[in-house]
Amino acid sequence: MTATPGPPGQPDPGQPDRGLARERTSLAWTRTAISFAAVGGVVLKREVIPGLILLAVVPAIWLLGRVAHTGPEKLKLVTATIVAVALVALGVVFIHR
Amino acid sequence: MAGRDLDSPPIPARLGCGPKPAPDRMSVAPCWGQRFFEMISTAIRSRPNRWGCEVADSGDQPPADDGTEPDPRFTFANERTFLAWSRTALALVVAGLGVVQLLPPFPGVPWGRHVLGVPLIVFGAVVAVSAYREWTRSQWAMRHGQPLPRSIMPTIMTVIIAAMALVSAVVVLASALR
Repeated sequence: MTATPGPPGQPDPGQPDRGLARERTSLAWTRTAISFAAVGGVVLKREVIPGLILLAVVPAIWLLGRVAHTGPEKLKLVTATIVAVALVALGVVFIHR
Repeated sequence: MAGRDLDSPPIPARLGCGPKPAPDRMSVAPCWGQRFFEMISTAIRSRPNRWGCEVADSGDQPPADDGTEPDPRFTFANERTFLAWSRTALALVVAGLGVVQLLPPFPGVPWGRHVLGVPLIVFGAVVAVSAYREWTRSQWAMRHGQPLPRSIMPTIMTVIIAAMALVSAVVVLASALR
């Protein structure tokens, strides 16, 4: 089995990608973006502004999955976003008691 | 390294800190995402550190003790594992939010929904941070040819689920007895 390096979702004309690692990773990023959209939808039912902010994050998460660099920065961004989402959720919970 | 397909030919590293691709391959590089990420990562790198010093922009050059670029398949797999745990963290946050906002109140236990929902949200944040730590540890081990460290994530999830099941049982019992 061989797989090629390269950015998720981008074709690499040089080598075949029999392991489809790049495609699977690209799909994983897409699923993560959809998860963010689901959270945004749930928050939007109660709080419009935070919900819209969360929905605005969705394309950014999807774009992060399209970049070639697999370094700590983009994963740090995802982690920070999830922590921020948790804080927003806590705020929503305590505002609507 | 465990899980490595030894029949596979070596794959030249091209991700992250690896050698730059040939100019003809640059033409298929993403534009939007790449520009967006470079903008953010440049902002992060150029931010003064805690000692007030400007952090040097190292570009694509790895630090001297950063090991060697592993097989990209393992890098991708590590990234997918991180993303899977991130989705789990998001699911915990949504579950907590749903418990508090969508469940009807427990009769006689007005605090029941918050006791169930708030820990789920907090645990969601904990899982997200732990997933990043796990990714960092695995990446370091792969770059240095070390065995992969034992993951703490299953333990964390087991404790969270068991604790939440216990708390749920207590809340339901308290509600039924009142």
